Amino acid sequence: MLNRLIRSKFDPPHLAALRTIALFSDLSRRELRTLDGLLHRRSYTRNEIVFDEGEEGQTVYFILSGQILVCRQGRPEEAAIAELGAGQCFGEMALLDNAPRMAQARAAEDCELAVLFRDDFLGLLHTHAVVASKLSLALAHMLGQRLRVAVNRFVA
Amino acid sequence: MRPPRQGPGPLTWIAIIGVTCLSLFLFKKILWLVVPFMLGLLLYYLLAPFARRLVMAGASPTLAAGVLSGGLLLLLGGWLLVLYPLAIANAGEWQAGELRYLTGGGLALESAALGLQQKFAILRHAHFGEDFRQHLLNLVNHFAENHLGTMLATLAAWLPSLLLTPAIAFFLLKDGTRLRKFIGNAVPNAYFEKTLYLMHALDRTARLYFTGLLKLFAIDAALLAGGLWAYGMPSPLALGLIAATLGVIPYLGPLLGCGLAVMVAATDLPDQAGLIYGVLGVFALVRVLDDVLFLPYVMGKSLHLHPLLTLLMFFIGEAIAGVAGLMLVIPILGVVMVIGETAEGVLLDDRLRARHVYARRLRRQEARRDPYRRP
Repeated sequence: MLNRLIRSKFDPPHLAALRTIALFSDLSRRELRTLDGLLHRRSYTRNEIVFDEGEEGQTVYFILSGQILVCRQGRPEEAAIAELGAGQCFGEMALLDNAPRMAQARAAEDCELAVLFRDDFLGLLHTHAVVASKLSLALAHMLGQRLRVAVNRFVA
Repeated sequence: MRPPRQGPGPLTWIAIIGVTCLSLFLFKKILWLVVPFMLGLLLYYLLAPFARRLVMAGASPTLAAGVLSGGLLLLLGGWLLVLYPLAIANAGEWQAGELRYLTGGGLALESAALGLQQKFAILRHAHFGEDFRQHLLNLVNHFAENHLGTMLATLAAWLPSLLLTPAIAFFLLKDGTRLRKFIGNAVPNAYFEKTLYLMHALDRTARLYFTGLLKLFAIDAALLAGGLWAYGMPSPLALGLIAATLGVIPYLGPLLGCGLAVMVAATDLPDQAGLIYGVLGVFALVRVLDDVLFLPYVMGKSLHLHPLLTLLMFFIGEAIAGVAGLMLVIPILGVVMVIGETAEGVLLDDRLRARHVYARRLRRQEARRDPYRRP
């Protein structure tokens, strides 16, 4: 915890923004810089669509600021699935397979996203195996948590 | 985002071929830049796996690029330093050798032509075998005054741009990822994922093509050297390497390589008449293996081009830009094909266009918002 706090104090602003992403919290500054070299920054206006349901996904999105609404295609009000804020990620299934997007994602407010392309992640597995495995572990942890929440909701 | 399952439509194909022809026409005007760039790409794909290994071992991409490009430059410089005094010391001997091989080759061709004339009455009136050797000797004797000046001037003009090659490879190794980010940033959000996929597909196509070219070179060199060695030819490895290098020029290159080997066979071992046929057989066999087995397997994977289209494009390339066109037409077609395929996918995707228009409208609304209102 203290280590993380110290790290975030001395990180340059662009890395400090990435440090807020839960998945990157275990990465050292050097590892984070490596990852930063692969990430694309995108800005989305409120209500802008990030991706559509059924679209083939090749990227995972990390929210640096703002909020993202995940919903059924074209039904943001009545069929909202989740509202995600800064530090969270979405579209992560694209890293694991080439399956179509399961829902639509749209900006609930102006937001800034960091985007990782699937093939860049696969390349990371070869060149920076430690970064890739830390990321994979964090991703597995997050998916496990989401599964647990879904199961609990289903049982309840 | 996967590559479209069906290939491009007929209109897209027409556009792809048109753009390829136009690119060749334009590239012909700036060959001094295109050739070093292609060589730079070749070096980049050759060095990329080693750069990855260095990065894996803990080096930064800049250090890896510097070490590899610098090492290559040192190797080339060292090679030139060794070659230059060697060339000066042996210039006379090499010139005499060149003359000897050309005369030997000319003699062999002349005797073959005369033999044909004796056997076929119809050829007797053509007199095409006569004075063949004399023509060759004239060419060699007057080569310096007729061609050497032009060749040296061309070399002097090309040398500075060829020196760009390691620099291009260095910057591609160092800043390849940054370049992709830069291009990605210039694209609207709606097309962003498609653009990333396009860049990845272009990279994959070029990598498969250039590494395929290198693999093909190694296979050809090994087979030719092995075949020539089996027939007892002198310097089989050097001949195999030279012939494989010339083989990079489609159609014309293998003929030149074969001609060179025949000249050596006719000069060094003139008593073994069967050797020339053996050499021709080796080259023919390697050509067939290349066309039937290696070319579709090694190169076909990268471009998925129909053989008839490939042949047609070679003719078009040669007609537009000569030997350079023969060499450039397939990689250019490959790149234009990937761009055309993706552009077709994007332009025909109504949903992406609608999303882009919607996003633009949202941004315009945002820009028109009362500037004094708090966000």
